[in-house]
Amino acid sequence: MRVVIGEDLFLLRDGLVRLLEAHGFEVAAAVGSAPELLKALTELKPDVGIVDVRLPPTFTDDGLRVAIEARRVHPGLPLLVLSQYVEQLYARELLADQVGGVGYLLKDRVFSDAAFADAVRDVAAGGTVIDPEVVARLVTKRARSGPLAALTPREREVLSLMAEGRSNAAIAAKLFITEKAVSKHAAGIFARLDLAPSEDDNRRVLAVLAYLNS
Amino acid sequence: MEPMTTPSDQGPADGLTGTERSSMLTAAKRLRANWPALLLPALAAEMLSMFRFHSHAPWLLLLAVAVVFAAVKPALAARIAPFALFGYGCLGVLIAHALLTWQHSMIWYGIFMGRAGNVNLMFVLPEAFLLMAASLWLLVVRGGPGASAVRMAVRQLRGTSGQPRTVPAVLLLPVIALWEEALGNQLWYGTGSSAWQVLGIAIAVAGVVLVVRRPPAAAVAAVAGLLGLGLVFVSGVGGGTDGFIYWANRGPDWSIPDFTFAQPGTFSGLDGPLALLNQTALWLIRIEGVALITAGCVLAPRLLSWEANAELARRAAALTLRVDRLTRTRTDAADTAIAELRRIERDLHDGAQARLVAVGMSLRAAEQLMPTSPEAALALIGEARETSSRALADLRDLVRGIYPPVLADRGLADAVRTLALDAPMTVETDITLPGEPPMPVAAAMYFGVAEALTNAVRHSGADKVEIGIGHAGGLLRATIADDGAGGADPANGTGLTGVEHRLAAFDGILAVSSHPGGPTIIVIEVPCELSTTDAARSPRSSWPEKTLLGG
Repeated sequence: MRVVIGEDLFLLRDGLVRLLEAHGFEVAAAVGSAPELLKALTELKPDVGIVDVRLPPTFTDDGLRVAIEARRVHPGLPLLVLSQYVEQLYARELLADQVGGVGYLLKDRVFSDAAFADAVRDVAAGGTVIDPEVVARLVTKRARSGPLAALTPREREVLSLMAEGRSNAAIAAKLFITEKAVSKHAAGIFARLDLAPSEDDNRRVLAVLAYLNS
Repeated sequence: MEPMTTPSDQGPADGLTGTERSSMLTAAKRLRANWPALLLPALAAEMLSMFRFHSHAPWLLLLAVAVVFAAVKPALAARIAPFALFGYGCLGVLIAHALLTWQHSMIWYGIFMGRAGNVNLMFVLPEAFLLMAASLWLLVVRGGPGASAVRMAVRQLRGTSGQPRTVPAVLLLPVIALWEEALGNQLWYGTGSSAWQVLGIAIAVAGVVLVVRRPPAAAVAAVAGLLGLGLVFVSGVGGGTDGFIYWANRGPDWSIPDFTFAQPGTFSGLDGPLALLNQTALWLIRIEGVALITAGCVLAPRLLSWEANAELARRAAALTLRVDRLTRTRTDAADTAIAELRRIERDLHDGAQARLVAVGMSLRAAEQLMPTSPEAALALIGEARETSSRALADLRDLVRGIYPPVLADRGLADAVRTLALDAPMTVETDITLPGEPPMPVAAAMYFGVAEALTNAVRHSGADKVEIGIGHAGGLLRATIADDGAGGADPANGTGLTGVEHRLAAFDGILAVSSHPGGPTIIVIEVPCELSTTDAARSPRSSWPEKTLLGG
């Protein structure tokens, strides 16, 4: 699986390269600035890109802009965006095209290298992985109106784990319920959010997006 | 040993009881301290002598009242006396003018004149001025409210005061009175036409309006009127029995006057010693004219300085206010900054620093355990990794409190939208900013909105909060309105006070309207200009919310 890495801090970039190579990824390019990253992403069209939000030249949200631009050029290009902090606003912007294949994680998550490698693979496969910190902030939100108000507490729980990019099996393990029960909850969520049966992954993306927009 | 004195001891010696004696002593002492009180009976006696040809009764009554008043309330009488004296002096001046311009007097006046049985200008004016000067001296020497008014008037007329120019402007009124008096033949008596009288009243009213509405213009008009009047008087126009008509018919009369005083008993209104008064009055009027011109010449250049002084005083007052405010807000800003730095220091010390120490200790222990029990070492390393994660989380929180990343990345609008998204309730934002405020202002505004939102979350019980931010007329304004219970007290709690201090450094203000029962509306305003050229800001920061929602 070919990966392009955009990260300006050498130590972190090097660490990411080693981590990913250790987990069997092939690093096609590892660059340190936004323009280089955009070039690498659009020209190499990797299986997945790993993008730091804050990059040269302006050190603001250049990486995020590169991610959105690259996905405009290659719709659905799987990208995992990393940052020292996570913001709902940025998560919504990344998910706005409703295609999936998007991850948005705190940089700390690379500490758990196996979980991180799994997240990269999920994103590459078109999944949606949102950092638990973003999801945690959503959970505190009082959903008094909108589609989410109709969900049962259990369904909200399942949805928040879905947003973190967990598979049905992982959700089942986490909530101590059967995988079948998770599928049932998921079907309930899709029904309540008026998401017509289609490719399951896309419905998951839409459900997560609805969740973020609540 | 002190002699014991009781009322009965002193009794028989002089036929007075001790109480009577001590009260008399006190009365004498009081009277000595308030000697100007005696001027009231003196004035009353003077008026009695003036009007002795008329009925005595009212003037005797006045005299009796003045005596009793001075004896019973000497302090009050002493305070009133200078004003009575001044008023009497003014009366003298008025009578003198009536004599000068019309050469007749309706009343008797003055100590000397009363005795002489006739009116003599040579005494009337000096006595009147003397009385007025004495009254002013009394006022200034003895203090009191009148004294400060006199001092203010003198200061203003000398042009040394930065006060509003009340006195120079008010001068216009006597000047108008003098003019109307000089033109009296035309305005009031000569023509007998009510149209002229209406004009005279209209001019006086216009003068009052000018004094009230345009004091500087009134002051200029007063000096111009003073100079003009002086010229008229010097040329002798106002002096004849017919005013202008006299002058037009005969031309100026420069003959030396004959200072033969009128004989006692010859005064009888207009038929009195006309020839004598005509001559004498002409020269007195010329002297008065010179005095008026001198006064005008002295005052004229000062008008400029009044104007300049007033302008300077206005600027000085504004600058003083500004300096006071800046001093206060600078201190506040410095205090706030120090408090903030101490908080950051404390947070680092208790948070990230402490955790990094723990990481170091865990790793050191793992190092030592590695050869003997690698499992325990591995567990310690895992612990170190978790602790480092927590240190990072601490640092993230800290950074948000110093300068929120979204504010740095995207500017105020998106930073506030992020606040709205993170709030545990529905928060609607309506943000229209054509540019970005300066960073310190944006930060102050951001933390103000954040604090208002936090308060709404914690205290209001609101379901919905609306945040509006806009820029108009050089003012950046944010409105945070919730539909909660209201009753918020801005003085209660340090959060909003801190925000106020932070805003004050940029001349910003925070206003809270929160009646019990709600709603609560908080308005924050900071004067600033928006920059539209900041290339670092993302062009997408002004994207409408819809695009982001995919709707």
